[in-house]
Amino acid sequence: MSDERPTSLWRDAWKRLRRNKLAVTGLFVVLALLLIALIGPWITPYDFLSQNLDARNMAPSWAHPFGTDDLGRDVLSRVIYGARTAFLVAICVTAIALAIGIVLGAIAGFYGGPFDRFMMWFTDMTMSVPQLLLVVVINASLKQPISSWMEQMYLQTLNPIWRNSAIVDFVLVFGTMALISWPPYARLVRAQVLSIRNRPYVTAARALGLTNRIILRRYVMPNAMGPLIVAVSAGLGTAMVLESAFSFLGVGVNPPTPSWGNMISDGLRVWTNYPHLLVAPAAVLAVVTVAFNFLGDGLNDALNPKGQK
Amino acid sequence: MTALLEIKGLTIDIARDDGPARVVDGITLSLQQGESLGIVGESGCGKSLTMLSLVGLLPNRIRATGGTAMFGGRDLLKMNARELRAVRGSEIGFIFQDPMTSLNPVMRIGDQIAEALIYQKSIPKPAALSRAEELLALVGIPSPKDRMTAYPHELSGGMRQRVMIAMGLAGGPKLLIADEPTTALDVTIQAQIVDLVRDLKSKSDMSVVWITHDLALIAGLADRIAVLYAGTVVEDAPVNAIFDRPTHPYTRGLLASLPTLSDQPMARLASIGGTPPEPGRRPPGCPFAPRCAMAIAACADAVPQLTAVPGSDPRHRVACIVTTREATA
Amino acid sequence: MTAPLLQIRNLKKHFDLRLGAFGEKGARVHALDDFTVDIVEGETLSLVGESGCGKSTTGFAILNLHRPSGGSVIYKGTDLAGLDEDAMRPFRRDLQIVFQDPYSTLNPRMTIGEALSEPILFHALASKAELPARLAQLLADVGLSPRFASRYPHELSGGQRQRVAIARALACQPRFIVCDEAISALDVSVQAQILNLLLDLQEKYQLTYLFIAHDLAVVRHISDRVGVMYLGRLAELAPSASLFATPLHPYTRALLSAVPEANPRAPRDRQMLQGEVPSPLSPPSGCRFHSRCPLARETCRSQIPEMRAVAPGHLVACHAVTSATSTNWEASE
Repeated sequence: MSDERPTSLWRDAWKRLRRNKLAVTGLFVVLALLLIALIGPWITPYDFLSQNLDARNMAPSWAHPFGTDDLGRDVLSRVIYGARTAFLVAICVTAIALAIGIVLGAIAGFYGGPFDRFMMWFTDMTMSVPQLLLVVVINASLKQPISSWMEQMYLQTLNPIWRNSAIVDFVLVFGTMALISWPPYARLVRAQVLSIRNRPYVTAARALGLTNRIILRRYVMPNAMGPLIVAVSAGLGTAMVLESAFSFLGVGVNPPTPSWGNMISDGLRVWTNYPHLLVAPAAVLAVVTVAFNFLGDGLNDALNPKGQK
Repeated sequence: MTALLEIKGLTIDIARDDGPARVVDGITLSLQQGESLGIVGESGCGKSLTMLSLVGLLPNRIRATGGTAMFGGRDLLKMNARELRAVRGSEIGFIFQDPMTSLNPVMRIGDQIAEALIYQKSIPKPAALSRAEELLALVGIPSPKDRMTAYPHELSGGMRQRVMIAMGLAGGPKLLIADEPTTALDVTIQAQIVDLVRDLKSKSDMSVVWITHDLALIAGLADRIAVLYAGTVVEDAPVNAIFDRPTHPYTRGLLASLPTLSDQPMARLASIGGTPPEPGRRPPGCPFAPRCAMAIAACADAVPQLTAVPGSDPRHRVACIVTTREATA
Repeated sequence: MTAPLLQIRNLKKHFDLRLGAFGEKGARVHALDDFTVDIVEGETLSLVGESGCGKSTTGFAILNLHRPSGGSVIYKGTDLAGLDEDAMRPFRRDLQIVFQDPYSTLNPRMTIGEALSEPILFHALASKAELPARLAQLLADVGLSPRFASRYPHELSGGQRQRVAIARALACQPRFIVCDEAISALDVSVQAQILNLLLDLQEKYQLTYLFIAHDLAVVRHISDRVGVMYLGRLAELAPSASLFATPLHPYTRALLSAVPEANPRAPRDRQMLQGEVPSPLSPPSGCRFHSRCPLARETCRSQIPEMRAVAPGHLVACHAVTSATSTNWEASE
């Protein structure tokens, strides 16, 4: 062992992940799509809003690889902008849900006691409410008050930012989706922390006199990360599907902001005549979901090597 | 007397990401009918894998890659899964280390013992159940009739190990293999189990292989002891010869580092420096040479073969060029 | 005799098991009861017994890693029992622990160097500049080369990890170390190495050990005094030589005769104990050993035996033992 470089468990996991072809494919697809979403405004061939009523519902061609929609807008450009929406929502929602989940789960698991019991009761309550119902109710009850509040702010400040209705959409989408997404993270973190809390190395850290904060940060959380990373990978994919589903149902991102969900919804109405309008966003959504799943599976095998056959 | 079991040149490899690593490297062992053999070695020496390979129970990614294991005229290593299952159920009984996890937690213990009899020996259920009750009585479980309907979690560790032994004996085996059956138990319970197995053995012509890391434990149990180191047999001798005249430097080291009640209080124990080599990183020649105080240059040349120790019991054999030379001189 | 390092009086630890949906129903495990002993500076006191006897709980309760349910642990004039984590912190440095399982005793995400630096930097025992030299010194103390500092635990063997765990305890420059089955999980040849290492370190740094083990033969090599525990209570406490030469408590005798002897010709007339240890959820009344004791009589069922000195430093809690020379053992056979 003297002539080898020391290998941390993270590096070991990365080595295992790299050997898994499906996971590497998934990672590549996800990263490629993320890159496209990031540089979208510079690479889209057309403005996603610009209408060309002379070129409506055109089939795919060299000028419009994914064709055009009923207003003559370029579908490829709209799919790319849809990716921006999807990643923005997925990343923000997951980040918010994760932050809530880690804080509540870690505190509940590490300190236990009445807070833990209350927390578990609260997550159970949240999880038992039907998600769709919750989103529809929040949308119906909050959208109007928030919009009129923003209108008021605009009148007071005359700042055009209060006029942007897309912000209301996003805030509502982030909020509602994060609200229904955090409990699984909290439960997972709590379970991890509970099992790690009594490991001898944590007790040894207590015996060394280290503070709870150091113990939680340097001894407990790094060892709880493996399953959490897997859950986040799966969660990002789920969040994208969820965002599309809500937009599809009209309780998510609203037109004209492009979202795969509302594109699918529009395409579905005319799919017998213009199938490309449905196929393009649906296929991209399917590919990215599968890619996240491959990546999640690969991460699971890489981070938890005991499950190896 | 013919050998009941004859292992020749057994090799076992672990499939690793960077190629196979050898864990058992040419083990040759034989066992007579009615004999009890102790297999002693430290963790990773291949003692358990050797025995598991005989009954086809090696874990995933670990395979026997060479050698033969003749049992009643047939090679166990060449048998298919169905033949091995038949052997496991009737001719070879196996007792595992951990009685907590080796029993099915959702099945009554009477049914667990009877099951083997019903499926392997096609005994009708009522007969199998009454046989199971006899077996529970045989292994010293008090009020066996009541215990038949108990679930494993209702029994203590020692009682569960007795149930495991009853299951091992169910098929009326010619050979009982016990893989560290007392390691997880307290010392007073360990003594009970050791006495039980010695008792059972004395009542029948069954052979017993007892795998352990504790030389003291099998001193009173085995007729013969084989000492394993890094996947090879380094010494193989009748029990008295091992304790009277330990010959391999590793056996001597093990005995010297064994704490006993007859030592001087507060006396330092002799210890063997270093650690055993990992599988796949075996040194050339004698695997013990790097830790051996008696090693000479020639030790690294070739893996020493088991040869008779001059002047000791005729069945006393050791794989060490230095100590055999010393004994001859 | 000098003043004791630790004065432990009537230490108790009960665990309440919560059952039911709201944790409202309780069952109580009597893990440790009325543990009283003085631990003298520089000595090794061993605790032996079977699983469930409370020996590990004792170590945890003394270090306040499990908050004691009663009793006191006096160290430097302060009662540690019941101190909260902040009040306990200044004492933590002096009182360390080494665990049994070498595979989970180290944080798998930290290098050996990081694991050892943590207590040194936290307690400001060395400056950043002095740190590398201090790490090398610690590793040398436990017989490891300095290059181990950059290794991760999974790259080490069980014995090496246990050496690192000892080095981590030493990093605080402690006076007292609890060795909680510290060598039980190791192979025989490695056990001897670690045992000798502990003895060397004790000489070098004047350490005091509480050595917890289930193996009486091992204990003989390291202990000045031995306490034998059964179901949460001390049964016998004596200087090592005295305990092994004249064990008085029937449980100690049974435990000793169950130790296998490395001699194939040894006679096999053991003092076999019948049955198994009862559940600590409902320990037997009176003397907790009476349900398995060959000497049990009526008083044993009703009265808890007191620890009594029958010879200098030799204490026994047994109604049947009246003096160091006369027990009713022979009479009953």
